[in-house]
Amino acid sequence: MPAHNTDAIQTQLCGEIQTLLSLPPNSVLPETSLQSLGLDSLRFVSLLIIIEQKFGVSLIKVGLRQQDMQSAATLAAAISAGQTA
Amino acid sequence: MSFSIPYSRRRRYLTGIDWLMGGMHHSALRFTGVGALSQAILDLDGSLPETPLRSALDQISARLPILHGRVARDWLNLAPYWKLPRRAGGNPISLRVVDLPSDAAAEAQRLLADHVNQPLAPPSDHLSFLLIRLGNQRSRLGMVFDHRLFDAIGAESFLRLIDQTWQGNLDQIAPKVKLTEPAHLDHWSRRFRSGKLLNAGLLKLAEREVCALKMPAAGSSPRVRFCHASLTIEQTERFRQRAAAECGMPILLPSAAARAVLSLQHAIPIMPLPGQQYLVFTSASTRAAGQEWESLFFNHLSFLPFSIDVDPPQSPTALVLKLRDQLFEQMRQGIPAALQDASALVRICPHWLGSRLMGRMFKGRLCSFYFACLRETGFPERTFLGLPAVDLIHTPTAFAPPGMNLCMTTFGDRFNLVLSYLDGVLEDSAAAAMMGHFKSLLVE
Repeated sequence: MPAHNTDAIQTQLCGEIQTLLSLPPNSVLPETSLQSLGLDSLRFVSLLIIIEQKFGVSLIKVGLRQQDMQSAATLAAAISAGQTA
Repeated sequence: MSFSIPYSRRRRYLTGIDWLMGGMHHSALRFTGVGALSQAILDLDGSLPETPLRSALDQISARLPILHGRVARDWLNLAPYWKLPRRAGGNPISLRVVDLPSDAAAEAQRLLADHVNQPLAPPSDHLSFLLIRLGNQRSRLGMVFDHRLFDAIGAESFLRLIDQTWQGNLDQIAPKVKLTEPAHLDHWSRRFRSGKLLNAGLLKLAEREVCALKMPAAGSSPRVRFCHASLTIEQTERFRQRAAAECGMPILLPSAAARAVLSLQHAIPIMPLPGQQYLVFTSASTRAAGQEWESLFFNHLSFLPFSIDVDPPQSPTALVLKLRDQLFEQMRQGIPAALQDASALVRICPHWLGSRLMGRMFKGRLCSFYFACLRETGFPERTFLGLPAVDLIHTPTAFAPPGMNLCMTTFGDRFNLVLSYLDGVLEDSAAAAMMGHFKSLLVE
């Protein structure tokens, strides 16, 4: 799986979150709080599975921290770190 | 390849999940005589007048004939549908008002329990309201609803719709409500693949005997009883943080379900045999964010099974990780989506036959109990018809089998816990012990 830069990951992640929650385009910004979007258990898990499939990083296996799940920006940083680990 | 068959504006074809809920209704009806009903109870600070409530219900009833529909089958394509009446209106929605002294909270509780234990008048009544005023200080509004028409979040949204109607917003909201649905007679190969996946999963789950409580005899019409507890805002927040720390992400389901199983193991005197499993079916919302009016009616959820060894007893943290891994595995396999897809195929099956086949596969013990953990709410407001809303709890009738449900619902920033069980399945003392242990595990 090729490594992506963090900005590209952020943009792609925002799109994936919008699709997952059936939100209109550009409604999720990198800084938008994931908690405020009303992601329940199932959708959080779905998001992590999408990340595994799209970016080749299992955040559960590399040790996900709570602060990594704040926003698309923090998740993108965790994915980027996971790709280079 | 997919194609759409034109469908009538008076037909709301049922999804596979709606059909499964119909199966649960049918099965519960056999045991209790009331079917799969639930009650949302709104606790209000002040005396709620009858006239504006009645007026709002009449307006909604006239605008949304779906409230007076019934299940029918299209004899051309064999798909079941909710038949909307030709004219809006129909019978007025049932509303009974009882005035009690301000210190009669126990009597109010008894009346509300009676309310959800009475069948709705078939086939076109799916809602019934009971307004209890306790002096001038407090009101409790119980809304009994047919689970074939609403899921729990839809019911909360309906309470919100009553408030919005009182505020004069029905004309803006009503056009958003989705009343019709195509027959879903498409994507056949995908649905069959989903069916194959699901069938293999169910057969695997059925390999081990399910540890479940003994059901009363069918037709004995046991009442549903309830045990209720609440978490404070601080306790709820502490549990959220602990669940996030245990799972490594802000999810609640594995932590809550693990504690529910441990409380069952602790408090209920069933004698599991080695090799048996606790099988817990959890419901999960599939509602799209911000679609509360579009998805007001019918069921927007799927189910996930968790299989847990009965022996040896496990620590909460170890069990949480096992359940988290099961959740991930099922999501990777696409089980919730497969259930939605494949269940459309079984709609051809009459409910009595479906219940019998499932019962045979699981030797009459479908699961240990149902568990719901609802993080979202359809009623985010803190007022109802101008009065402050103090609490909102749900008292669902227990699905039968297994005759026991445990649900966590959200009101404001805290959780309400309700254990529903059939008379004869559990002693009241055992239910209280289970609820007490569950709460202590959540807040420890």
